[in-house]
Amino acid sequence: MSFLAPWFLAGLVSIGVPIAIHLINRERKTVVPFPSLMFIQRVPYRSVRQQKLRHLLLFILRCLALFLFVAAFARPFFVKPPSLAAGVGAKEVVILLDRSYSMGYGTRWKAAQDSAKVAIASIGPKDRATIVAFANDASALTEPSADHANMERAIARATISSEGTRFGPALKLAGDILGASNMPRREVVLISDFQRRGWSGQSEIHLPQGVEVIPMDVSGKDVGDVAVASVETDRASDEAGAPVTVTARLTNTGSAPRTVEATLELAGRTVGSSRVTIPPAGSVQARFAPTTVPGGITKGSVKIPSDALAANDQFFFTLAPDEAVSVLVIEPTSSRTNQALFLKRALEIGDQPRFRVDVKRVDSITPRDFASRGLVVLDEVAPPGGDLGVALRAELKGGTGILVVPGDVPGDRVPKEWTTVLRVGYGDVVNRANAGGARLARLSYASPVFEAFAAPGSGDFASAHVFTHRTLRVVGDSGVLAWYDDGTPALVERSVGQGRVVVWSTSIDDYWTDMPTQPVFLPFMRQLARHAGRFSNSRPWFTAGEVLDLSRHGELTVGLATKAAPGADAPVLSLMSPSGKRARFSDSTHASALLERGFYELRTQATADGAGRPVAVNVDMAESDMAHMEPRELVAAATATAGTVNGASTAEAGTAAERERNQRMWWYLLIGAFLVLAAETILSNRLSRTVTT
Amino acid sequence: MTAAARPTGNEFLDPAILSRIGNLEFVAKAVVEGFINGLHRSPNLGSSTDFAQHRQYTPGDDIRKVDWKLFARTDRFYVKEFEADTNANFLAILDVSPSMRYKGSTSGDRGVSKLEYACFLTAALAYFSAGQRDRVGLATFDHGIVDYVPPSSKHLRLVLHSLDRANRAAAVHSPGESGGAAITAAADAKTLTGRASMMPPMKQLSESTRRRSIVLVISDFYEDPQAVFDAVDNLRGRGNDVICFQLLDKDEIEFPFSDSSNFIDIETGEKMPLIPDYLRKEYKKLVAEHTATLARMAAERRIDYTLFDTSQPIADALYAYLGARERYNRVR
Repeated sequence: MSFLAPWFLAGLVSIGVPIAIHLINRERKTVVPFPSLMFIQRVPYRSVRQQKLRHLLLFILRCLALFLFVAAFARPFFVKPPSLAAGVGAKEVVILLDRSYSMGYGTRWKAAQDSAKVAIASIGPKDRATIVAFANDASALTEPSADHANMERAIARATISSEGTRFGPALKLAGDILGASNMPRREVVLISDFQRRGWSGQSEIHLPQGVEVIPMDVSGKDVGDVAVASVETDRASDEAGAPVTVTARLTNTGSAPRTVEATLELAGRTVGSSRVTIPPAGSVQARFAPTTVPGGITKGSVKIPSDALAANDQFFFTLAPDEAVSVLVIEPTSSRTNQALFLKRALEIGDQPRFRVDVKRVDSITPRDFASRGLVVLDEVAPPGGDLGVALRAELKGGTGILVVPGDVPGDRVPKEWTTVLRVGYGDVVNRANAGGARLARLSYASPVFEAFAAPGSGDFASAHVFTHRTLRVVGDSGVLAWYDDGTPALVERSVGQGRVVVWSTSIDDYWTDMPTQPVFLPFMRQLARHAGRFSNSRPWFTAGEVLDLSRHGELTVGLATKAAPGADAPVLSLMSPSGKRARFSDSTHASALLERGFYELRTQATADGAGRPVAVNVDMAESDMAHMEPRELVAAATATAGTVNGASTAEAGTAAERERNQRMWWYLLIGAFLVLAAETILSNRLSRTVTT
Repeated sequence: MTAAARPTGNEFLDPAILSRIGNLEFVAKAVVEGFINGLHRSPNLGSSTDFAQHRQYTPGDDIRKVDWKLFARTDRFYVKEFEADTNANFLAILDVSPSMRYKGSTSGDRGVSKLEYACFLTAALAYFSAGQRDRVGLATFDHGIVDYVPPSSKHLRLVLHSLDRANRAAAVHSPGESGGAAITAAADAKTLTGRASMMPPMKQLSESTRRRSIVLVISDFYEDPQAVFDAVDNLRGRGNDVICFQLLDKDEIEFPFSDSSNFIDIETGEKMPLIPDYLRKEYKKLVAEHTATLARMAAERRIDYTLFDTSQPIADALYAYLGARERYNRVR
């Protein structure tokens, strides 16, 4: 019940008036000596009590009249709760079980499992329940049923993940399940530690109307937690064997300072330790002594003694001594002077990532030259045939990118085996110099190549003139990323295996276009090389819940293709989780979710155990923030969203008469007040007459 | 004699005025003389010279009392006897229990307590009886006999003195303005003796009165009517001529209280929170029933019973008394 004019409720203090009157007129207890009470004792005492009761009734009537008047002026109205409309009968229940790693704190997980069992026990034979476990994402562990044993088995099998908490997906899934149900009663049992970070407040949750959310808080008493929040590495130089300084940031969410000893492990060896005292609700850095790491990619971790929440007590990372991307530019035997100069300068100028560009003539190329290359640029040379072609295609499928610049290479010089790979036909050479040059008129800003130029003023491609370009005939699934002003494709891409082929229709020097002299050329070439080679910034670790997309992290697969068995055409990449689960990548599958903390291993079928590319994954440190939110706050937010939607639709659908009907209660209150006043008048008159007689 | 024949100007018979006179003898004399003057009848012309009966002569009788006319007719000696020759005992039995000390709160300073009124009345009647050469006596009682003056023709002063003493003792123990607190304190100290019963003193007095007497019982009769007359019957059984005067204050009859109060029983200390407005009707009805029962039971026993309102002049009491006595003498 709510009030339209709640400030009128202040009038309730007027009830004090009759109270004061009755107190003032209360019986005066003066003592009157009297010869004998023998006659008084014979008077039926109930008459006295009756009169007192009459007074009491009068008092109640007066207070009630005032209350009714005040309540009427406050204009109360009722909003029929959705649950009332739901009625009674069998119910559809979704039990949401939080399995984020914060649930591993103390005994929360056991309490959550026990709570789930309690919720299961309330499921009747005609009810249906679904167990949904959630962390970053939500998934149903059971089908809707009333099978207690099955549900309890699912609860028992459920494990804590390394992900953070997000209530949104869980409530959305629950809403979907309940929305599809035709049961008269629908409930969501939410079992969680209710971390505030799990609710953004902006999640669009549309729980069906009438759904009741029952929170079960298992957070218990928070005693604080110490965690390794992050690790930074500082390499003295890019040379192999250069000393590395590791610094870890430790946080303490407790209310008391904590002293811990942090230990640094590199390549499985403990190489240093640091004892630090972390202030309450603060952080401190633990710096380890510089240490020399072996070449290649090294696994490292910083750990502290386990406390109530062990998941964030060890932080994993990788140390890569030289993460520079190797680029091979293949020039024709009769190349122009400085034909690769503009590309080489553009790629080598940055360090995110760093490119190391090697330029070779096509006649000096051997299959070995393709090994460990992140990007191969066919600068106005035809794709190689024979063994070179096989080797390059193998690298391509293994993840190496190829940037093809057709130039004026005749189309018939492209080996047939490349035709199905490139899926781009070489057309005529178009000279548009007479028309002042063609311009890149349309760009696909959704592509990573151009997404950096999406903002206004972030790259003026229109100022570049393309005087001559090759006509590209796009076939099949190749995608066009840029078009000239006449609508012909300027940039075409296609994924092949784990690799990617990008075809650029004009030259990469200033022979056919003045773009290399334009400011946009440098970032464009770097973006093009990153995209073609699927490179992104080198990351020493990932966060659990992220998706490892190899189409964007080619740096992780560099070198793996060459480790394939000799003669193998398509090395199959796979990702092995810390728990030993294997996820395979294919031509169509480029991504895999990182769900466990620890070291994943990216490998091929030919890679020996432990020789693959390690990928460090840590828990989401935001989950270490144990800030608690009131369950009812979440329930109110979740149900209010639905209520608001429903209320809005109701308000839109409701007529003025309906709204008036919902608020007409004040009429009844006013009438009741007048009736009570009438009764009070009658009673007081009777009392007065009795006293007079 | 009726109230219509009653003379006016009897200011001296107003109990409020009488209460200002300290000398009880003077009060009694003023009352009686005023009353007699108002009646225009001489007390000396009473029944003392009236012929009563003839008695056969026995040796030793004064031959002057022989009725010679009757001897002439009957040839036998008879002696004439006169009423005045037989002096009666007048014994006033006065209730001095605490309830008699009550003085209505509504009458203010002008009011007299029931005991004062009783004393005035007793003194007047004693003075009146002494004037008829009756022997006057006094007994005061509450739980038992408090004071006893045997009837005697010489005891008028002693009776008046005893009355005065009883009145003064009552004044000392009167509830007064702070009576409530005093009674409450007495009740807490358990010094209150409780409600007095008439039976023990009446029984004791009946055994002590050897001669037939006119016995006047003055009380408020706060007792069951049956118990009252069971006690009085002790006196009546001895051949005494019993007269009962019930004295009640106007407050006891009208119950004019208005404020809700704690009423405390003067004799027992019992306390009751009351709203008088709601009790008045029932109370008055019960009092009327009580007095009616007393009157009925008195009539059944040929006992004179009169209810006196202490706010009324004492003359009214005397009229009532003498009127009743006259009617009684007629039927006798």
